[in-house]
Amino acid sequence: MLKTLKEIWEYRTMIQSLVHKDLRGRYQASVLGFLWTFIVPLCQLLVYTVVFSIILRSTVEKFYLYLFVALIPWNFFASCLTGGSSCIIQQQSLVNKIYFPREVIPVAYVTSSFVNMLYCEIVVFAVALFSGVQFNLLGLLCLPLVMAVEYILALGITMIMCSVDVYFRDLEHILGIISMAWMFMTPIMYDLSIVPERLLPIFKLNPMTGIVTAYRDILYAGSIPEMGNLAISFGMGLFFLILGFLVFGKLKRRFSEVM
Amino acid sequence: MSTEKNNAPVVIDVRNVKKKFRIYKDRGNTLKERLLFAARRKHEDHQVLKGISFQVRKGEAVGLIGENGCGKSTTLKLLTKILYPDAGTIRMTGRVSSLIELGAGFHPDLSGLENIYTNASIFGLSRKEIDERLEEIIAFSELEEFIDNPVRTYSSGMYMRLAFAVAINVDADILLIDEILAVGDAAFQAKCFRKLQEIKGKGTTIVIVSHAMSQIENICDRSIWIEDGVIRLEGLPRDVHPVYMEQMSKKNLHGQDEQKDKLVVEKDEEGKLKRWGSGEAKMTDVSVIDAEGKKRYEYSPWEPFTVHIDYEAQKELKDVVIGLAIYRNDGTMVYGTNTLIDTAKPVDLKEKGSIDLKVENLPVSNGTYVVDLALHKPDGFNYDFWRNICRLEIAGKVQTPGEIALSHSWSIR
Repeated sequence: MLKTLKEIWEYRTMIQSLVHKDLRGRYQASVLGFLWTFIVPLCQLLVYTVVFSIILRSTVEKFYLYLFVALIPWNFFASCLTGGSSCIIQQQSLVNKIYFPREVIPVAYVTSSFVNMLYCEIVVFAVALFSGVQFNLLGLLCLPLVMAVEYILALGITMIMCSVDVYFRDLEHILGIISMAWMFMTPIMYDLSIVPERLLPIFKLNPMTGIVTAYRDILYAGSIPEMGNLAISFGMGLFFLILGFLVFGKLKRRFSEVM
Repeated sequence: MSTEKNNAPVVIDVRNVKKKFRIYKDRGNTLKERLLFAARRKHEDHQVLKGISFQVRKGEAVGLIGENGCGKSTTLKLLTKILYPDAGTIRMTGRVSSLIELGAGFHPDLSGLENIYTNASIFGLSRKEIDERLEEIIAFSELEEFIDNPVRTYSSGMYMRLAFAVAINVDADILLIDEILAVGDAAFQAKCFRKLQEIKGKGTTIVIVSHAMSQIENICDRSIWIEDGVIRLEGLPRDVHPVYMEQMSKKNLHGQDEQKDKLVVEKDEEGKLKRWGSGEAKMTDVSVIDAEGKKRYEYSPWEPFTVHIDYEAQKELKDVVIGLAIYRNDGTMVYGTNTLIDTAKPVDLKEKGSIDLKVENLPVSNGTYVVDLALHKPDGFNYDFWRNICRLEIAGKVQTPGEIALSHSWSIR
């Protein structure tokens, strides 16, 4: 495992260039190009604002922001869960023809989605400032930590899913459903406080609960995140990451025979 | 092989490697297909490699030869770690680069320059290492003017040139090559070949899979012939290739028993094949004649001589190629040619006749040289291939260092 990590480090330029290629290639042919990175979340925000402050009026104050700060990190996680699961298959021409540590592909995929989320976070920041959120300095300093926890979790899950998907392609479709269910089982559109007591243990076991709540604490409430739930998320993220490396390491040996 | 290489450390160590593939007649990839058509998912195991062991020392160049499907490309894929062996071990020391898939990861919309970075990074180079090699890569590809254009605007020749330029400049310790020297035009191929020889000279270990025996003979110290997943024969290319070609000729004749019986096969005292072919045409006498018309086998590097061949054929034969090769007695090829190379068209043989090949001089350093002669079809099928048919002693007035002799004069003022 240590050897693999060292090798991935040696191939860091490849990761960089894959991320670069993905981010650049994403809006390559479009007129507005890179601006789309900001336009998409802004339009999302506009729709939510219209729906939740005019039609489906919520009791939560500034509900659009309440939702938005949680939705952007969720989108990152969901794209890893669904899109990331097919990342090896997407790159099969590379995998079949040339050697490089296979782990590079999921790492590059997750990193690229992560960078995309960072851009969206700029929009979140701007909107939060505009809405008059008073940021807590210590809270803001915790933000990179929260992002790191989410990155670890997303990478772990992606590594498991993308390696299994090579052998079992139904997984992509199954994950589409799981991702939807998971979204509603995570306090994104509602507050953890309205969840019935008997269901709480399930929510606590969901590693995304701690992460989403932490984002919201920092960017919506302007406070220091609640560390207990985040610690659980971190523990589970680490667990998935290690499991992901082990599963991936086992399954990668036959990638090019199966594809 | 020089003694220096015999003492060099082993950098590729393959021990008893086995590999089998599952061949599905109708493999289901989805859950539905797997459940519904479980019975259809029959597979056959195909044992591609049945236990292969070999070692390659640092600085050595080895050629893997064999028919399609014999396992040579699988062996190369195992060496690159695209595939993993079922049993046995493979140990590789140093950075490995493969010229198996050229242009891996090229993005058509990005410029040639950007693609150099992407492509080189896939070989494991860091940004700094790529920066260092950039000039060399661009110069080698001869694409200076086009390097900022998107790759999709390149012709296929330009595309391959760029791809090859990146791969060859990785500076690997071990270079694995699969049938790649079909890149671009003849001039660029020759350039690639010179580059390979330069790389080999620097001590890079090379493993080549190729059907072109001459390429392997030109660059490799050793050939490994793989047949049906095992190593059939291993040794100097000059020793292995004739046996391999012989076997191929026999296979071409498969089913024609009548002709098979007439095969000429003679072996020398060491048991190496000396002469083989279908026998439809045979050389009956071969001699080397000097300018006065006398048989002689010792010449100075500047004397003309004629190789005289008497032949007989069972019937008049059309489309025959007559070939000659001269080797130094350590197995290094000095020169080779045939009528197809020289005249671009095959010749016709009568039932009985003779062939004269006039040679102006053999400007090589003093030593013993041996001659191979062959009568064969344009596709390589041999009527009569005769190794070491005669010996030539080249004895100049003085012994000079180096491999060749130059006609020269000094002028000192």
